Amino acid sequence: MTSQKNTFKKRFGSMLRVDFKRLFLSRAFYIILAIALLAPVLILVMTTMMDGTVSVDPQTGKETVIEGFDNVWQIIGSLNTQEGADASLSMGITSMCNINMLYFGIAALVCIFVSDDFRSGYAKNLFTVRAKKTDYVASKTVVLTFGAAMMILAFVLGSLIGGAVSGLSFAMVGFHTGNLLLCVLSKTVLVSVFVPIYLIMSVAAKDKLWLSILLSMMVGMFLFMMIPMLTPLNATLIHVLFCALGGIGFGFGLGAISNLVLQKTSLV
Amino acid sequence: MNAIEIRNLTKSFGSKMAVNGLNMTVPEGAIYGFIGENGSGKSTTEKMICGLIRQSGGSVTLYGKPHTDGDIRAGMGVLIEAPGCFQGLSVWNNMMIQAANLSIPNAEQEVIKVLKMVRMEGAAGNKYKNCSLGMKQRIGIAMALLGNPKLLVLDEPINGLDADGMRIMREVLTDITKSGATVVISSHVLGELEKIATHYGIIKGGKMIAEMTAEELEASCRTYIALQAKDMSRAKFVLGSRFSRVEEDEAGYLRVYDAVKTEDVVKHLYDNGIVVSEVKTAKIGLEEYYIDLMKEARGR
Repeated sequence: MTSQKNTFKKRFGSMLRVDFKRLFLSRAFYIILAIALLAPVLILVMTTMMDGTVSVDPQTGKETVIEGFDNVWQIIGSLNTQEGADASLSMGITSMCNINMLYFGIAALVCIFVSDDFRSGYAKNLFTVRAKKTDYVASKTVVLTFGAAMMILAFVLGSLIGGAVSGLSFAMVGFHTGNLLLCVLSKTVLVSVFVPIYLIMSVAAKDKLWLSILLSMMVGMFLFMMIPMLTPLNATLIHVLFCALGGIGFGFGLGAISNLVLQKTSLV
Repeated sequence: MNAIEIRNLTKSFGSKMAVNGLNMTVPEGAIYGFIGENGSGKSTTEKMICGLIRQSGGSVTLYGKPHTDGDIRAGMGVLIEAPGCFQGLSVWNNMMIQAANLSIPNAEQEVIKVLKMVRMEGAAGNKYKNCSLGMKQRIGIAMALLGNPKLLVLDEPINGLDADGMRIMREVLTDITKSGATVVISSHVLGELEKIATHYGIIKGGKMIAEMTAEELEASCRTYIALQAKDMSRAKFVLGSRFSRVEEDEAGYLRVYDAVKTEDVVKHLYDNGIVVSEVKTAKIGLEEYYIDLMKEARGR
């Protein structure tokens, strides 16, 4: 037998096929997608039911009025006002229960997927026959970005269903359909910033799933506050472009670091 | 050309030296039995050969090229510790994933071929997690065989295999070396290894203490006379007065190692009034040779 010549295109192509196949065969992926779809339905229905409810602190007697969503789109994003203030900050409980929390869910997808490679021993088979770690990092980035984007779209779909079920308003005030589509697009593109962050934590933690999730959550927290600003409901092409540039920058920059981590550490 | 050449290989984990200046030569086409006690550094060495862990020092060359060479590595098959399979997927899907990793053109036919080689074609639809230990080992071997590997590294592949599984594995490994492939196989089941290995490497404390061909091992394995007598303790005393090495083995036989003829031993006992009830000649096998070598190494 003679040695086979493996070009990057051939290697990357086959790696992508493997990872997409794995993603679509993974039960965890469908469970996460189902959660992303059902979460907004539950959030919208429950907060609508609780809207206006007064809770009383038994010790102080202080009354708090629980505020729900005013319209469906608030769960997708918030308006960037001219003063630069984030409208979502004044929403109370609803400011936390929105699409932005899904970026933490993406950490679960990435960490489960990567740690499974190391826990199953698949990484041993893979890295024995593939000396280039770049293939692995690049392919994982692409496939998991796709998976994460599916989660965002599932959440948006769930929001529409939840809005219809709970009878919330679909009226667009301060933005139009084009803005909304660009908002969803920018949020979808923004996952390409988060995936490389979670990927680097996952390849560093290898088979230790708890550690990779913990590290990912901690690091993701730093960028979490920027999400509403980068992807407002009244988004324009600039926002999408900015998210895309961020994704490319993070993808290449952090991808190179992930590659280095794999090169310099033991793979088993 | 040698398939594997290792020179002064070292690997330390903190202050612990797992592999310490190891030298190893595996000729192309060999079935290399890699033997050593638990914790002697076998698996660590194999992982370094496969590029899964970085060595602290020394060099590993595969077919004359550094072991990091991508093209050489693409022609390797590996089974280290456990087969790298996803528990929730079927055997077939696990095999197809590895086939895609190797960019095998006719993946389906190739997967069927290797599953047939290990007699596991009937289990292709089973979920991997539902397979028995022996089945998982066979799947691991099948996975390592995908893509006609030039070099196979197998760590304890016999573990969990039944008699039939062991026979199949022997046949498979012998067949693939006929087509020029090289196999490095570590195992504690020395009796099985002895049936197929063409070369041996014995490692202790991270160092290679002996490396030889099967012929050299055969030559260095001494013949002995094993006997049973009515009064074993007296027979041992009498034989010990004439022959330099007389030992009682676990089966209850007295072994006389340096006797030239069986008749001499029997006559010597008869002359001393001891009746021999059973006598046979035998040769020490790999297992006993290995145990002797380990004893010598400990004594040093």
